[in-house]
Amino acid sequence: MKPDASPCCDSVDSTKHERRAFLKSSAQVLSAGCAYCAMAPLHAKLLDYKLAASEIAKGTWAVHGAQEYFNLDNGGNIVNVAFIEVPDGVVVIDTGPSKRYGEALLALIQRTIPNKPVLRVYNTHHHPDHCFGNQVFDSSLIAAPQGVIDNLRLEGDGFAENLYRLVGDWMRGTSLSVPTVALDTSYENVGGRRFSLFYLSGHTSADFVVRDDETGVLFTGDLAFMFRTPTTPHADIATWQASINALSGTDKDLIFPGHGPQDRKGDSLTQTSDYLAWLDGTLRHSVEQGLTMNEAMVLPIPDRFNSLSVLRTEYERSVVHLYPNLEDTLLPEIELTR
Amino acid sequence: MCGLLGKSANGTANAMLATKRTISLRQRFVTRVSVVKNSVPVVCLFLCLIFPALSHASRDIPADPFESVMWKLMVERHFPGGEVVFDSRVKVSAPKSAENQFHVPITVDATELSDVEEIVAVADLNPIAHILTVRPKKSLSFVGFRVKLQQATPIHVGVRTSDGVWHMGGAYIDAAGGGCTAPAMAHGMNNWMKTLGKTRASTRRESPLSARMTIRMRHPMDTGLAAGIPAFFMNQITVQDAAGETVAELDLYEPVSENPTITIKPKVGQVEETLSVLARDTEGNEFGFPLTVPAVAAQ
Repeated sequence: MKPDASPCCDSVDSTKHERRAFLKSSAQVLSAGCAYCAMAPLHAKLLDYKLAASEIAKGTWAVHGAQEYFNLDNGGNIVNVAFIEVPDGVVVIDTGPSKRYGEALLALIQRTIPNKPVLRVYNTHHHPDHCFGNQVFDSSLIAAPQGVIDNLRLEGDGFAENLYRLVGDWMRGTSLSVPTVALDTSYENVGGRRFSLFYLSGHTSADFVVRDDETGVLFTGDLAFMFRTPTTPHADIATWQASINALSGTDKDLIFPGHGPQDRKGDSLTQTSDYLAWLDGTLRHSVEQGLTMNEAMVLPIPDRFNSLSVLRTEYERSVVHLYPNLEDTLLPEIELTR
Repeated sequence: MCGLLGKSANGTANAMLATKRTISLRQRFVTRVSVVKNSVPVVCLFLCLIFPALSHASRDIPADPFESVMWKLMVERHFPGGEVVFDSRVKVSAPKSAENQFHVPITVDATELSDVEEIVAVADLNPIAHILTVRPKKSLSFVGFRVKLQQATPIHVGVRTSDGVWHMGGAYIDAAGGGCTAPAMAHGMNNWMKTLGKTRASTRRESPLSARMTIRMRHPMDTGLAAGIPAFFMNQITVQDAAGETVAELDLYEPVSENPTITIKPKVGQVEETLSVLARDTEGNEFGFPLTVPAVAAQ
């Protein structure tokens, strides 16, 4: 913006010239602005997660995301979220990747279960696709183990930045809302329903599993993936396998995994365990052979994993995640002579 | 264009800054500068006449398949001299997207080319572009390494053969960024100096005539671009055979990832052979160790 013309300092000619230039540039800005205004509503209309809920057990509703990696089309809706009608209200398991998702989820809950308040929101772990919808819920209701809270405090802002880069405008207005209730009990009664709480790890350093003791649905978070390649940015594979073992032995009627369809027979646990075992073995062998990460990334993947989506991409990511630690344990230590 | 002009200007600046010098010294210096100034046009003309090859305009620079805005500058600065050609025999493996901007793996395989003298890798849009230079000497033209990326960038790798030709390959890597300006992980530990240079390595025979050597050494590889942390990085690795002949020389620069992890392929005989590795950093610390390649029958 040009300040008020001051006749004392500018010559008449140059003032005229500047004013003309200023008017010309304002006209350009205005016309560009109008073009943008005309486009903006159209664009905003496109950014709709179109969430739908399906009832997977009595009063238990699943919201399934795409079996994909984050991109500009899916807006980060690649995750499973659930909500449960309990006698006095609603319990929510995970909140999705963005504020926009959280708003759509809350609207969906209110449409599906009208006139009942949300009483509790659980975060299964700190990954951004699972808890960046938190901010639309009353923060005093959001609960997770202390480990999840600590991880979110440590890495949440970095996740947010990266998600803005990966999915763009879908993230508009999203900021991190950290759970305010730190859980450490083995169960919790919420609105007349008892939930068993399991404190595990392996997919991350703090993975939280919730079981609805009435319906027997086990909400595993990302300890179980179904028809989707497991992700490993914070994984410790041996611990993860131990957690899968523990979950296999846990009473349940239905598994609701972090990604993919619900699973009655425990296939999600078997699939996840099988893939992790293959991944671990393959990378150990590669490090022992002295292969570079790039050479390991192009190794063949057995056909039996073809039913897992995002297979090659997630495998390549896992090479980067897991290789350095394997090198620090498997490559022989060398004594310096100088 | 003419280097001498820059030199005399620098000299003047230095003379002005050095206020503590004696008058006589300064007078002598100023006199010398003016002599240089007067002869500048003549010298420039002379140089331009006898070294037409020095003029950049005479070199045909091919279009860059990675459409880097820095391409011409990269060629001038890092791939000087001979002809520049993109060559499918220079195979550069890199992920499409950097999962971790502090450790982006790159593998260069130019083993189909013969008479390779050096391999130069640059990340065009890094604040410091030059990643490393490898002179394979008695090794196959192969190197694996990891790099820090400050932003999404084209990578260019030039492989210079003895005829002076730069055979180019490359990749484009998307990245979240910030890899060069964040402190190394080492600075999160209070005892990182104790493990400086600590080494893990493996050597295996790959064929009757070559081995695969992977070394991983503890070093923060500070770029000097993280606030309050001066540049401090491993800048030289030399591999020699038992006869003292050079097997490979590597010059590393700031963008190489923390705890440099390098894979090369020394050429060896069929019998057991012990190679010696010597690494140096910018503070003059030296880290040396032997690595033994087993005999053909032994593996």
